[in-house]
Amino acid sequence: MLEWISYHRADIAAVLILVLAAVFLWSVYYGMRTSRLRDKEQVFGDPERTSGGWYWAVCGLTTILLVWFYFSWGLARAYFPTAANELCQVAKVHEAMSPIVARLPIGSRYFKSTDLVVRNSEQLEVIEADLPEGVFTPAQTRDLRQIMVETRELIAVYSDPARVDGAVHRQLANIVGTLQDLTVRVQGGVDNLRPALRPSSAALAQTPWGVGDEEIPNLPMTARGVLFDAVAQDVAAVSEDFLTLRNMPPEAARLIAQIRGDIDRIKAEIEADTAASAEITEARGNYVKAVERIFRRLDDGTIFPANILNEVNEAVAVMLDEVARAKGSLRVVDALFMPGFGVVKTRTICIEQGSSRWLPKPTDVVAKLSLLANPNIEEGGGFKGTRLLWVKWLAIADVVGFFIPDGVVDVLPGGYGTHDASGGFVPTYKDRLLALAQGEVNLGHVPMLDGHIWDSLFRVLVALFFGVLLGVPLGIYMGVSRFFKSFFDPMIELYRPVPPLAWAPLILTIFGIQDDGKIFLLFMVAFAIMVISARTGASGTQISKIRASHSLGASNGQILRHVILPNALPEILTGVRIAIGVCWGTLVAAEMLAGTTGVGFIENVARTVSDYELIWVTILIMGLLGLLFDLFMRKLISILIPWRGKG
Amino acid sequence: MTKFRKFLASTVAGVAVLGVAQTAQAIDEVNVAFFLEWPTPNQIAKVDKIYDEALGVKVNWTNFGSGVDMAEAQVAGDIDIAYSQGAAPFVNAIRQGKPIRMVGVAVVYEANDCFVRNDLGITSANASELEGKTVAVPFNTMADYAFRAQMTALDVDVSTMTLVDQDPADGAVSLADKSVDMVCLYGADSAAKAGEVGTQIMTAEQKMKADIGSFDVISVTEKFATEHPELVRAFLKVTDEANKNWRGTDEQFRKVAQDAGIDVQIAKDQMATFSFPTAEEQLSTYFVKGGEAEKLAEILGAVFEDSNSSNYAGSFDAVIDGSFLK
Repeated sequence: MLEWISYHRADIAAVLILVLAAVFLWSVYYGMRTSRLRDKEQVFGDPERTSGGWYWAVCGLTTILLVWFYFSWGLARAYFPTAANELCQVAKVHEAMSPIVARLPIGSRYFKSTDLVVRNSEQLEVIEADLPEGVFTPAQTRDLRQIMVETRELIAVYSDPARVDGAVHRQLANIVGTLQDLTVRVQGGVDNLRPALRPSSAALAQTPWGVGDEEIPNLPMTARGVLFDAVAQDVAAVSEDFLTLRNMPPEAARLIAQIRGDIDRIKAEIEADTAASAEITEARGNYVKAVERIFRRLDDGTIFPANILNEVNEAVAVMLDEVARAKGSLRVVDALFMPGFGVVKTRTICIEQGSSRWLPKPTDVVAKLSLLANPNIEEGGGFKGTRLLWVKWLAIADVVGFFIPDGVVDVLPGGYGTHDASGGFVPTYKDRLLALAQGEVNLGHVPMLDGHIWDSLFRVLVALFFGVLLGVPLGIYMGVSRFFKSFFDPMIELYRPVPPLAWAPLILTIFGIQDDGKIFLLFMVAFAIMVISARTGASGTQISKIRASHSLGASNGQILRHVILPNALPEILTGVRIAIGVCWGTLVAAEMLAGTTGVGFIENVARTVSDYELIWVTILIMGLLGLLFDLFMRKLISILIPWRGKG
Repeated sequence: MTKFRKFLASTVAGVAVLGVAQTAQAIDEVNVAFFLEWPTPNQIAKVDKIYDEALGVKVNWTNFGSGVDMAEAQVAGDIDIAYSQGAAPFVNAIRQGKPIRMVGVAVVYEANDCFVRNDLGITSANASELEGKTVAVPFNTMADYAFRAQMTALDVDVSTMTLVDQDPADGAVSLADKSVDMVCLYGADSAAKAGEVGTQIMTAEQKMKADIGSFDVISVTEKFATEHPELVRAFLKVTDEANKNWRGTDEQFRKVAQDAGIDVQIAKDQMATFSFPTAEEQLSTYFVKGGEAEKLAEILGAVFEDSNSSNYAGSFDAVIDGSFLK
């Protein structure tokens, strides 16, 4: 069942998107109609104006989902399931063409030959101006200048169309001819295909876009794809021809041999000149090397006269235009539904090059989540051997063992058992007690939550619990007592602005790698927020209320409990809400310390392999848990302080 | 209502921009990624601007914290060549379908070490006692690979251990605090700290005997390799020359150490364990079919198999390309 859903995820997405669009339109319509009615009864600024409005929540949610579908290319995959495969074949053509295009104005404004000529001429000038005085002998200086003159001449020879070899002309004409043939083939379209070029059975057996290990199926699955795939292979051959083509007129070959000879001769002279100081020899060597480097960039015949490449440039331009035309409806899909650079072919596979590279499709995220949520670890569920969220049987003995320190048994009289002469072992009472203290007896089991989510939740909840337990009383006392305020104020204000991550290295060495360190880190965050909010709440109590209760005979304790605490409660509960949010934010950092389990741990590991699907799953989990907490807090607020916003 | 419509329009426009960032750029400079605190002979060529001269364009060097970040920057189009990217992040990037290609071997070095706490008295002779122990290891790095390879060589069942994902510096602290029993890490500083309280589970000779080594790669983006093969070739040539010109003189060490941002002594110690294969050696042992590069890639691929994020199907030989060294 799950596999069926996974295989047909694109179809499911197609239905889902329609439903989402319908709900979106309906919510906008309904929302606008309702607000038109309401506008008349409520003035601006009336808090009642923000109550209700669930339809706008629906509208917001559907908007997020639709935007997500769009930018993750989920829309494209749902309604054009074969588009990526076809565009992959087009990408193959572009990939095969890229070495040619990179050398022509069509791809890079200038001919690569032009670039080389300009760049090397400039550097020749620089190096000529840099010729050091008094380093070389006059004869060598003359020779070096001669080499530079010859190098310039070499560039001129390369650039002269009249000198280009007939064979090169013929090969270029060949390349142009092949490109034109290919253009005609593309023009002819799918109908021109021989039956032998129908999609192969291996291609048709590929899993659809986004289902298998390979994101986009590589082999052409449609007739149009087969055409492009075949063209790409021919273009690759043309590319190879073009790349191996060399412009080496006899005059250039002669110049190259001469320059090489000159350089070698000067090098030999420098080496032979033992009378020169080491410094001079080094300076000479470096300069000659620099001259040689420029020469080395010119000795391979990759510079062509500009006008003989014009035809190739034109043929490529025409062909690429034709390929663009042959894409037909794919062009629209590419431009409208695949934000970014479309499908790009890398060495072995096709990838989505756009926002979908880092934003996985909603359906894929759900698929990943269900894979993680699978409690059966043997089947590949969970993450790194721990389930996402499940129930386990917790041995009561473990809890008992946790609370009884082993050392208690050590101080009791008597000794531990030893093995006897016959190789047996009879435990003494101390051995039995030790087993209890270490949780190695059977006291029955209780069900307990388990897994990454629970571990994270547990850490946040415990930290929050202690934060509230200690922070609220302290905050309230700081709000009513001069001693508490002045004594604790500097401490709290000093540590509060420090980002939690800054504590991390200390926490690690103080608490070790267990939960206590992570909880303490979160606790520090929660504690500061709780103190501040409780203090603000307590000190904000209206003095008239306190005076009134005083005159009615209330004791200090009664004032604290019945006047100040209820007054501070709105601030405290807002503080809890903020603390929850910040705790979730700090969790990733806390679980980075020494990761074994937890949602933040999953995120940290996913980051090291740039597994975006996994990263989004963790973001989603954290967002949803935060949302659940917040909804719970809102409910709590409406029960505990129903008067809020009404005074 | 017009306000709402305006808001809607600007939101849509803003979101649309997100999708089409990134621009094409003309090649008047080459961007290279490298590591600080990782001394290599080619830093002399880097400091002396020999790369700039040989490539004929400006070469920008950007330092990175990890090989994973290098691969990210390559995909984003900010980096053309990654020098000394770990084999592990390279293989992971390939498994993610990232368009990069290995064109050379930067550094060959001893596999990272695993240190066992001294008070446990565990050595390679009784390594099976490691089962059930807690191990700190930075996940999905070369240290992770070294850990798994050594445990396999020592016949220790990794699935019985509690693995903790920790950075090398944190791992060394945890070992000293006795929070973990063994730590596997990289980096000279952290290794020295771990060495104070622990001992390597396998010696250099044992690792060599078990054929556990590792190397860093030189990788380039597909786009750069197809469009500017001559620059790739020139880069590798300068690197090769720098390696061959390495004499280990004090002057050379000083230059490299200064560029790497470390002490001369640390550079000396570190480079003593490195080797830099020549282009010919790389071609004959690393880039042949079924050679060292492919072998390590396949092993790494298997090590990281359980991170279940493979976008890549097939063998690695398509992305290991020695043709630029010729």
